[in-house]
Amino acid sequence: MADKILKKEKLGALIESVTGKGGRFVAPTTDAHQVVFKKIKSADEVAGDYILARNSFKEFLFPQTEVVAEFTMGKDSVDMRGVEVHAPQTVVFGARPCEAASLAGMRALFTWDFVDEFYTKREENTVVVTVGCTKGDDACFCTTVNLSPESTEGADVYLREAGDSYTVKVISEKGKKFLEAHAAVFGEGKAKEDALFMPEKIKEVDLAKVSARLKDKGHYDDPVWAKLTRKCIGCGACTFVCPTCRCFDMVDEGTAFEGERRKNWDSCQYDTFTLHASGHNPREHQHQRWRNRFMCKFHFYPEKFSSKGCVGCGRCIRVCPVRLDITEVMVEFSK
Amino acid sequence: MENTLRQKAKGLLESGEVKVVIGYGWNRAKTRTTPVFITDPAEAESLVWNPLCVNNLSLYLTRKFKEIKALGRPAVVAKGCDIKNIVVLMTEGQFKREDVFIIGMTCSGTVYRQELWKGELTPNIMPTKCHNCDVRNPHVADFVVGEKTNFTPPEVPTGMVFDKIKELDSKPQADRWAFWVKEFSRCVKCYACRQVCSLCYCERCITEKNMPQWIETSAHPRGNLSWNLTRAMHLVGRCTFCGECERACPVNIPLNLINQKMIGVVKEAFDFKSGYDEKTHPPMIVFSPDDKENFIK
Amino acid sequence: MNNIYLPNLVTIEDIYEEAPDVRSFRLVFKDPKLRDTFEFKTGQFGLYSAFGLGESTFCIASSPTRKGYIQCTFRKTGRVTGGLAQLSIGDTMGFRGPYGNHFPVDDWKGKNIVFIAGGIGLPPVRSVIWNVLDRREDFGNITIVYGAKTVADLVYKEELRHWEERGDVTLVQTVDPGGQTPDWKGSVGFVPTVLKEAAPKAENSVAVTCGPPIMIKFVLNTLLELGFDEGSVYTTLENRMKCGVGKCGRCNVGDVYVCKEGPVYTAAEIKKMYNDF
Repeated sequence: MADKILKKEKLGALIESVTGKGGRFVAPTTDAHQVVFKKIKSADEVAGDYILARNSFKEFLFPQTEVVAEFTMGKDSVDMRGVEVHAPQTVVFGARPCEAASLAGMRALFTWDFVDEFYTKREENTVVVTVGCTKGDDACFCTTVNLSPESTEGADVYLREAGDSYTVKVISEKGKKFLEAHAAVFGEGKAKEDALFMPEKIKEVDLAKVSARLKDKGHYDDPVWAKLTRKCIGCGACTFVCPTCRCFDMVDEGTAFEGERRKNWDSCQYDTFTLHASGHNPREHQHQRWRNRFMCKFHFYPEKFSSKGCVGCGRCIRVCPVRLDITEVMVEFSK
Repeated sequence: MENTLRQKAKGLLESGEVKVVIGYGWNRAKTRTTPVFITDPAEAESLVWNPLCVNNLSLYLTRKFKEIKALGRPAVVAKGCDIKNIVVLMTEGQFKREDVFIIGMTCSGTVYRQELWKGELTPNIMPTKCHNCDVRNPHVADFVVGEKTNFTPPEVPTGMVFDKIKELDSKPQADRWAFWVKEFSRCVKCYACRQVCSLCYCERCITEKNMPQWIETSAHPRGNLSWNLTRAMHLVGRCTFCGECERACPVNIPLNLINQKMIGVVKEAFDFKSGYDEKTHPPMIVFSPDDKENFIK
Repeated sequence: MNNIYLPNLVTIEDIYEEAPDVRSFRLVFKDPKLRDTFEFKTGQFGLYSAFGLGESTFCIASSPTRKGYIQCTFRKTGRVTGGLAQLSIGDTMGFRGPYGNHFPVDDWKGKNIVFIAGGIGLPPVRSVIWNVLDRREDFGNITIVYGAKTVADLVYKEELRHWEERGDVTLVQTVDPGGQTPDWKGSVGFVPTVLKEAAPKAENSVAVTCGPPIMIKFVLNTLLELGFDEGSVYTTLENRMKCGVGKCGRCNVGDVYVCKEGPVYTAAEIKKMYNDF
């Protein structure tokens, strides 16, 4: 196949081509002074100058809140109806290679014996177009978790900035179909690719050591956890922006006559997350909750789902009000 | 200043007067400050002081932090604005004056967000609170670090927050409603605003009370509105405009606006500003026969 | 679309008051086909809905040997259980399940079985007890050690009487010190202590225990002291759950998801787990 390029001026045409077929086009756009993934309608909404969006695009596959069932209370019974998943054809444009790598873990979890079709149907209808990073900051650490701006894990189409164009690389079957469906927008040819931003690999981090130390249960009651995470305020903002965090709550809402059951984002950083009805709480202290999050990323996901629990996007570091830096904990556990 | 601070912290820990100094240190890359808890006098060297010291460390004095409380009597590095929160905590009986050693920092302003820092503190990267600060010289402290400043805040408060409040106040109710509905629509219900607030110290927040469910936990317009309005109401007469909630908000909801607006309302109705005097109780928790009851219509 | 979060509707066929704030429901599926085909194994759990209030997780307290219905027992503590407690006979609620693993009762043929339960920990054990009693000839000696805070807090009082009277079961009942009534004939003392005194023989025996986490920890130690083999001691962990199917992320004890890889574990497996429950 000949080399493909996408002229930046053709982005509008691509958006029209997608939305014209009834699809939704999600891209980083500026909203309330920050760049976020949102459904957009035109090319001028697409942010050009950004490191990565503040939120992860997971909310388009796994919404913050969604109705899974509805019910009406009758006189003698309850009428309950399951809700069909709303899974429009979606293009996520401008995701970074790091966050796309989160999809494997998400899928593994949501298909673990029981298939959560609210997730899978949306994911199946989503084409992820990543753009290699030409910018970064001191929170980026993809290279430390064995990813890089050149990674294509989880992406369907991988683009590189090249002056007034993007070079286009098809990664998956879904990506191939996407290019075919919008063939008119893409051109053929070559373009000189801009230099990528490669975050410096944190040399004090040794993932194998982190994993080995987490597997050895001796670390569990190590006072180092409390010391490292003492400043954590338990706000859970890290879990909300994290592309791999996917814990949720199930709640009923409504009146005495009708209502709905919702699946809402939740966070392992909250004290009520694991609280038993009896008042017993297996993770009573904040450092235990933090430990759980860290272990989930560097032990549970890799072991259980053979996938990355942390993609090094650095969102949790940027968003943390007390600047609790996960890489500092990685360094400590590499010792 | 940094040196004086370190010497003082070291002395306090060595003498056993305090067991922990809650202050600011560097992150690994030395690009951002982060709260540190110094228990070893030798580690007092890692304390830092600069305009990146944005966190309001009074948070760690609250009962939310049982593990920090367990360390023993704390000293806290506090800017004037942080001290206001300490004062409110004392007026609300959370601890006594002697329970905490306040290291007051003379301050010439901080950045609004650490990522704005380019090596120099310029007015445009300072939050509204700094432009109008009347406590650059710490008003309640056991030890003050730094030379007295003679900064006088403008008579009429200025800055983005005040401008925006003025602009909103001039609009019809429907427009103001639409503005807030839109702003709150971004809320992800992470409750970072609550967690970072030293005045949100309830052991059981109303959002966690579900019998009945006062506030719906879903991040939909109804749930978001009830959460944000309830929190604003719970801070009336208490909030000191430290700005931590807005800083912590991952989706940039302009919480400073709503909080400053309420501060204005309280000033108007009760001639009260919170955080200045540990002997005066906030108006919402006292009854006075002189209370204007003009809000009852 | 296959919606894994969609419950089945069940009717409350009967309600039993077990203890203050503790109640059992006998539930029947509304769908007649499901009523006939529904199967579960002892030790499995389900999520029970009070519509408008949410779902709660309890084990299935009845035995799979009793077909046509399921029973659950719960204590009224929170929003959902409070709502369930307000339902009456004939009302509709929701059930999802069965989920999780089960007690390998079939492997225990010819063995002695010791059941140890505390308070509201008896319901999961009850499912095993009836499973075993319904095929009594398959097993050796059966001992039940059950305790609660007070006499009033003992659940399944009718059944306790029945087990006491039937002659082929050794039943030791106990209440915590101070929880006895003047006419109390059982023991007084905490479950692990009473278990030690009762000293069921470990040889060719399996033990099944459930209760508050702290009780389980002590009972496991006591059983090992009595010579029980770690692989023959079973317990069931009841962590907070929202989904029941390995997604919501809160029931994990370290890397072990209780809803998928539990709730039934041997003491040997528990020992390998993180100290996180």
